[in-house]
Amino acid sequence: MTAAQMLMSDKGGENMNTHKLTRLALLTGTALILFAVEMQLPYPFPIPGIKPGLANIITVYAVYRYRAEEAAMVVFARIILASVFCGNISSLLYSVSGSVLCLAGMIPLKKFLDAEHIWFGSVIGAVLHNAGQLIAAFFLMGSSVLVYFPFLILSGCLAGGFTGLCAQLIVKYLGRFYG
Amino acid sequence: MKNKIFILIIAAIFLAGILGSIYVMTRPHGSRVDIIQDGKILYSFDLSSAADRTIDIEYNGRINRVRLENGQIYVEEADCPDKICVKTGPLHSDGLPIVCLPNHLIIKFADKDNDGSTDADVG
Repeated sequence: MTAAQMLMSDKGGENMNTHKLTRLALLTGTALILFAVEMQLPYPFPIPGIKPGLANIITVYAVYRYRAEEAAMVVFARIILASVFCGNISSLLYSVSGSVLCLAGMIPLKKFLDAEHIWFGSVIGAVLHNAGQLIAAFFLMGSSVLVYFPFLILSGCLAGGFTGLCAQLIVKYLGRFYG
Repeated sequence: MKNKIFILIIAAIFLAGILGSIYVMTRPHGSRVDIIQDGKILYSFDLSSAADRTIDIEYNGRINRVRLENGQIYVEEADCPDKICVKTGPLHSDGLPIVCLPNHLIIKFADKDNDGSTDADVG
């Protein structure tokens, strides 16, 4: 493998090279923009936690295109920066517990999925994400929030399916360039 | 083949969500309402007999203004950024408590087994 190939390959070298660092940073930035756009959408639901989760398009993409620790870096950098920007530190706890559970589900699942079934991993990840947030809410607010679980499952299926299909398309078309 | 299994799994999860939602939405509830913060019951009313009143509930300097009116309870004003609790409107279903996550506040119908307790403010 030549040096140029090393630089072009996502799975190259032991150490993170500049090329990859730049790409991960770009992904984090894109996820932040999606998050900011989503913040501007009206919120018509009486239940907290129902959202399209546009930033998770990047999460799913990163999980399927990069190594586990690299995907986790993108996710956690985005969460921390997002909570700084929107000035709501208490939401950090929900995001972290959701994302940890989501990654814990999606990363092992990735081995069993080909490029045509990324949406499946995303749905499972979204449902786990919502479950993780609910677990955090349970510890903060008590058992009465658990009645939200069925609604959050539905929202997770729909949002996860949508973001998963988006990510699948991105993997498919970007794959031609970065193959 | 693989596709079918995946769709079946998702369909099962989705169906469980729908059934759970229907169950939660249609669960019978009493007229007693609890206002809970950090898992502690601050106030408890019987909606059918409580007088109209306004209650300010504070959390770290932020306030939720809860209004009892004509046998309904709702959050009139909130200092939180998302205002989900205000948008929820009057409490009408057991499945949808009024929740303010930033201020750790929940307004919900009381669990069945507490229904017999006296109509007094707690705390």
